[in-house]
Amino acid sequence: MHTISWHSVELTLDECIKCNICTSYCPVAEVTDLFAGPKYSGPQAQRFRENGQPHSPDHSVDYCSGCRVCNDVCPTGVRIAEINAKARAQMVAEHGIPLRNRLLGRNELLGKAGSFAPHLANLALHNPVSRVLAEKVVGIAREAPLPRWSTEGTFSAWMKRTRHRRLRSDKKVVYFHGCATQYYEPFIGQAAVMVLEQNGYEVLVPPQNCCGLPMLSNGEFDAAERYHRGNVARLAGFGLAGYPIVGTSTSCTLTLKEEAPELLDKEDPGSQALKQATWDIFEWLRELHAEGQLSTDFRPLSPDEERLVLPYHAPCQYRAHRIGKPALEILSLIPGLDLRESHARCCGIAGTYGYKAEKYPVAMDVGRELFDFVAAQSGAEITACDSETCRWQLEHGTHLPSRHPIEFLAAAYGRYDLERRRAVE
Amino acid sequence: MTQLIVIGAGLTGLMAAHTAAQAGLQVRIIAKGMGANHWHAGTVDVLGYHPRDSRQPVRRPLESRDVLVAEQPGHPYARVSPEEMQAGLEAFTRLAQEAGLPHRGSDEPGRNLLLPSPVGAARPAFLAPEAQLAGELGRDEPMLIVGFQGLRDFYPQLVAENLGKQGVTARAAFLPLSLVTRERDRNHVQLAKLLDEPERVAGLGRALRGLVKPGERVGLPAILGFQRHREVLASLVEQVGAPIFEIPTLPPSVPGIRLHTALARRLEALGVRIETGMEVLGFHGEDGRVLWVETETAARPLKHRAERFLLATGGVLGGGFQSDHTGRIWEGIFHLPLTLPQERSRWFRPRFLDPAGQPVFQGGVPVNGNFQPVDPASGQPVFANLWAAGNTLAHADPIHERSLEGVAIVTGVAAVKAMVGDRAPANS
Repeated sequence: MHTISWHSVELTLDECIKCNICTSYCPVAEVTDLFAGPKYSGPQAQRFRENGQPHSPDHSVDYCSGCRVCNDVCPTGVRIAEINAKARAQMVAEHGIPLRNRLLGRNELLGKAGSFAPHLANLALHNPVSRVLAEKVVGIAREAPLPRWSTEGTFSAWMKRTRHRRLRSDKKVVYFHGCATQYYEPFIGQAAVMVLEQNGYEVLVPPQNCCGLPMLSNGEFDAAERYHRGNVARLAGFGLAGYPIVGTSTSCTLTLKEEAPELLDKEDPGSQALKQATWDIFEWLRELHAEGQLSTDFRPLSPDEERLVLPYHAPCQYRAHRIGKPALEILSLIPGLDLRESHARCCGIAGTYGYKAEKYPVAMDVGRELFDFVAAQSGAEITACDSETCRWQLEHGTHLPSRHPIEFLAAAYGRYDLERRRAVE
Repeated sequence: MTQLIVIGAGLTGLMAAHTAAQAGLQVRIIAKGMGANHWHAGTVDVLGYHPRDSRQPVRRPLESRDVLVAEQPGHPYARVSPEEMQAGLEAFTRLAQEAGLPHRGSDEPGRNLLLPSPVGAARPAFLAPEAQLAGELGRDEPMLIVGFQGLRDFYPQLVAENLGKQGVTARAAFLPLSLVTRERDRNHVQLAKLLDEPERVAGLGRALRGLVKPGERVGLPAILGFQRHREVLASLVEQVGAPIFEIPTLPPSVPGIRLHTALARRLEALGVRIETGMEVLGFHGEDGRVLWVETETAARPLKHRAERFLLATGGVLGGGFQSDHTGRIWEGIFHLPLTLPQERSRWFRPRFLDPAGQPVFQGGVPVNGNFQPVDPASGQPVFANLWAAGNTLAHADPIHERSLEGVAIVTGVAAVKAMVGDRAPANS
């Protein structure tokens, strides 16, 4: 069993001045009284969890979605979301993990399994009967926006297929694709490769595995640690050799940077090297731009003279990266793009939270703020968001297509078809 | 490049950024968390008590300010002329109006309002949001203070009894909280958001109409709507047929959060980015200039370059100063010289509620007449492109003076005016 330590979060606990700003901004506590709010479940309940107390005093912490609005608004810097994540892990250690959460944590395994016969897998999962069964038997909400397996092969397979076309250069960057790009949305990786190559970088895609976040957020720390060790073994060397490791999945990059090392107490040189080398792709492009190195050879995205109205929602993970909204800054360089910044706190899905039958209604209520914002932007026919599950939730809640900002950037370079979602080479 | 980075998103930072944007500077705000507005009552307190230990509230703060600065030439108010002080407050009033949350003062220009606190004490304030104005203690109508059964931190009997001791006719009544919600454990901000829904307001209006007697005015905890606050208030006044006022409650304060949200949205509409969750941990200075500040991120420090920087992180309460158990106390970013005692035994006076206040809340960063932090020995600016404003500044005692928002607004505006050279230097 993984020993849950309170090492780093403990240090911030005493900073809590009980001002309740976190509770006032918490999007979950606002829509349901099943969650008492960050202050109660976090720093307050924490007093009863420390010093080897045998039982977790507050099981409503399971309703924390981990969106980290609380961390962001806290005026004294308490790491409330991490306190809650550790509290969930302690509950799993005490009571075990339900089959459903075990399944949702195994993103990579599910991705791999379905990719053997994606048509069949899509048919098997995405039909009303299976969805009702999945809800009744396993507890996965029947309406929740589950992804479809890519029927054109994985992202790695595309890299292999197109290897003769890939740019070779002295300037190299490592791409961390994550499970969603690998198995469900390989076109996101294609867009990233197009953007990086446009800027003169050769893209390396070494073997890698799931970052472990789905397991961390479901309290399965042991399994997450195995995944993290795998990534350190395979990728830390690139970091030590000076290669940046960029990712398009804001949750994966966050996990490599901070979530895994912090929640699992990883202070070994490999984890630290991986942490220091990892960048969100737009965070890295912003640095490139600051040095005057970013290609700004853009063409307008809409064929006619009209500006393309684009509601942009920064995913919650950006809050945890604490890097501002780099995608917004870079997209604003594209001519003819009418960006509308969402101030909604969260789309609701929060990783695997909104897939759970009992939490699906909460997730939809939380997301209403965002869905209403999009609906209020007249002329908007498409939205943008960096995180995959958030995009799926956005599409589910707004009935409009949603794209990763990297797709817009690649399209603005003329190297990506936004409509058909594929690289143009 | 960014022309000005304001560090801190409290009232000081927002007003400074607004002034800068008006002056045509490209300005950005970075802040660790949400600003201290979230703890405030939503009013602008300019000067409530002078001298600090006086029990008699100040009647005319701008006049008492002259006495204050004559006695305390180091006070932040001494760095601005009376005209600048007036202009700063007017800038706030205009901004609040544009932001959709108008504030007003007493009907008699220049006078402090006296408003009820959540325990029924008198609170001197210079400007208040519309929703608090009918609570002015000097008005004649008797008060009906209404609380909600099960709502924490607001006890109408206590408010009414304490008001009665001050000669204000007031009675108390309870309504069931189920008029607003049947859910458990709702805090004031959540209740205010629930009251944005017209059906709930209609239910509350009906219940209030049944309670109020002709000629009374009605005081309620400040939960009357959030986004739609003004519509909610207007609709209640119409339904009940009596003046209605809000009494700000303990933090988190709904009027304070409303004000913060309204000002922040207005600033963003003017092109000012406000980024929270960014804690400044370090800076780089060369040749007497700050080149960049660094914020903490999930992986590596993030550099923020700008031509100028304005420190608006507050004092001990706002989080601008840090301290340790040995009695060391320091400004958290630039390690600026402080006027604070570096001995723990001298931070506090023996009595908790000493009328003279506590030294630890009275010290801060010493600045010159242009709001540039100075080395006290030489009197020279520490950095050529660094300014400071608000409760970071030395020689005010916002708690005892009740000058928190006044100092924030007036110095936030004046510091930026000094920065862009749009100002005659104050002579005092």
